[in-house]
Amino acid sequence: MWQQIIALVLIIILITRLSLLKKKGKIQSNEYIFWMIFWSLAGLAMLFLKQLDNLLMDFGFSGSGINFLLYLAVLFLFYLIFRLRLKILDLDTKITKLLREIALRENDNIAKDNNDTLKDNDNIPKEE
Amino acid sequence: MKILCIIPAFNEEKNIAKTAKSAKKYINDVLVVNDGSKDKTKELAEELGAMVISHIINRGQGAALETGNEYARRNNYDVVVHFDADGQFLAEEIPDILEPIIKDAYAVSFGSRFLSKKSEIPWFKKHVIMRLAKAINYIFLGVNTSDPQSGFRAMNKEALRKIKIEHDGMAHCSEILAKTNKYGLVFKEVPITVIYNEFGQSLGSGFKTIKDLLINKINK
Repeated sequence: MWQQIIALVLIIILITRLSLLKKKGKIQSNEYIFWMIFWSLAGLAMLFLKQLDNLLMDFGFSGSGINFLLYLAVLFLFYLIFRLRLKILDLDTKITKLLREIALRENDNIAKDNNDTLKDNDNIPKEE
Repeated sequence: MKILCIIPAFNEEKNIAKTAKSAKKYINDVLVVNDGSKDKTKELAEELGAMVISHIINRGQGAALETGNEYARRNNYDVVVHFDADGQFLAEEIPDILEPIIKDAYAVSFGSRFLSKKSEIPWFKKHVIMRLAKAINYIFLGVNTSDPQSGFRAMNKEALRKIKIEHDGMAHCSEILAKTNKYGLVFKEVPITVIYNEFGQSLGSGFKTIKDLLINKINK
């Protein structure tokens, strides 16, 4: 019972913090909706933990509802890490492209400056 | 015919002068892609009359080669040669790597240390790392060449246009082989000599290459 209350209080704190971040514009709408649904579902699972136990028993599982939620959480964390790795890879690729463009443009500018200098030198009247 | 020799270099002040100078004997246009070096690589290459393009931070050999390739595309080069900065390859073999492209109209030529008896390949590298790399190339990328990880190669304009290197690290070797296969580019393997030193690819970086290939495959 106490464990359920503590979990619910924590979830309420997280939801409040999420709303504050949204209000301050520090989180995008899709991220806000995703985490709001996630924590709301976690809160509902906590409220109906006994019913979840019964449901799992009906499906023939011996473990309790809280164990089931823990397994789900671990799976979800693995999925999140995988998504983050892909995102980092994507950012890495973009950094390389950006860096390449900077390097090539810098090289073009140096070549252009050298050409301009050569042209300027050609325009200087030569002393007799 | 406009030919460009691309040399990716990261902290290679000990070797770059010798490498660029020897490459310049065979190809007039030598481009050193200074990949965020903290030493005098850039200055030494410039002193020798090589063109230098610099990445402000280190991005890896694959990224540096693609910068060189992009420079070649923008400046209308007909052929590019990829050459390592660490002195592992012999510049006198540059004409050999160019010959299939210039004389026989091949799109790509790959240097292979396994077609030559001259390279003294360390036992572990030859029998474990290279066999593993060959198997991975065959299983995941569908390519079967005698040398799965050669960094000495030449490409014509068509290959240069089609092959865009996406792997920043060492996995670019397998990537280029896979894309040559994918785009149906005709290629030839040319025997080359490789001089081994302490800068060669380690087992750790070999595993990183495999990891990079797998992640990139999943991400597609």
